[in-house]
Amino acid sequence: MSANEQFYIRYYSGHSGRFGHEFLEFDFKVVPGGCALARYANNSNYRNDSLIRKEMFVSTLMIKEIKRIIKESEIMKEDDAKWPQKNKDGRQELEIRLGNEHISFETAKIGSLVDIQESQDPEGLRVFYYLVQDLKALVFSLIGLHFKIKPI
Amino acid sequence: MADADVEMSSADNAAAAQTSTKAPIPVRSVEGWIVLVTNVHEEAGEEDLNDLFAEYGEVQNLHLNLDRRTGYVKGYALAEYSTREEALDAIEGINGKKLLDQTVSADWAFVRPADGARGAANGSGRGRGGRGTTGGRRQRSTSPGKAEGGEE
Repeated sequence: MSANEQFYIRYYSGHSGRFGHEFLEFDFKVVPGGCALARYANNSNYRNDSLIRKEMFVSTLMIKEIKRIIKESEIMKEDDAKWPQKNKDGRQELEIRLGNEHISFETAKIGSLVDIQESQDPEGLRVFYYLVQDLKALVFSLIGLHFKIKPI
Repeated sequence: MADADVEMSSADNAAAAQTSTKAPIPVRSVEGWIVLVTNVHEEAGEEDLNDLFAEYGEVQNLHLNLDRRTGYVKGYALAEYSTREEALDAIEGINGKKLLDQTVSADWAFVRPADGARGAANGSGRGRGGRGTTGGRRQRSTSPGKAEGGEE
């Protein structure tokens, strides 16, 4: 059952400023046959870095592990109603479809743990913050190993 | 890029066609073949993983990411081997094995859908025709003999 459940995840973090639209975005989408298409984009104009776009297919076991990480984080139980609104410093978006559940969160960038502590929903925001950190670490490992580039 | 891919032999294809689901095909990363291991004990160390992987070949790279919240191992490891044979041996040898009392799973990290292989056979790239077109592609349930045999 869990092998066939719907799954999609997308994360975006970005802002527009002195160096244009700078962002990081990745998503995983299960395709027929069991594996998933993973896409990664990173646009940093700082020091004339340019847009990096990468695509790869990851295995069913990889998706299973990502789902486990998501489930264990209990992010699906959270709600972004009381999280800091996006602002001039940018925004983060997290969208997950897992079985019958769907979340689509938007919040400001989180600079430090103080931002979390001072928010109106520290516990929920902390779940979000650490899940994003763990997912980014995973994606950076995948990109690093598959393409031999250092993301960010 | 084409040399980075290993096509299934037509014998494999015929076998795969008999089972209704066609397994995704492993793909090579820029410098080698990446093996994913999951259900890694949170207290496992790089040494434990190196010992595990080294049995099947020289490990070129190892990623053992940590849970950003707890500092313990997140639960997965990624290892790079130079050759497909080493990676395949590792997957077969490690899958189902016990590591610090936990039964781990092992598989390729990067694959491409079996359907994409047909797209690649028409051109020279690595299955470009195979993605993003869930709409117009022909059904996967064409008759096994004809679809996989000596087409073209």
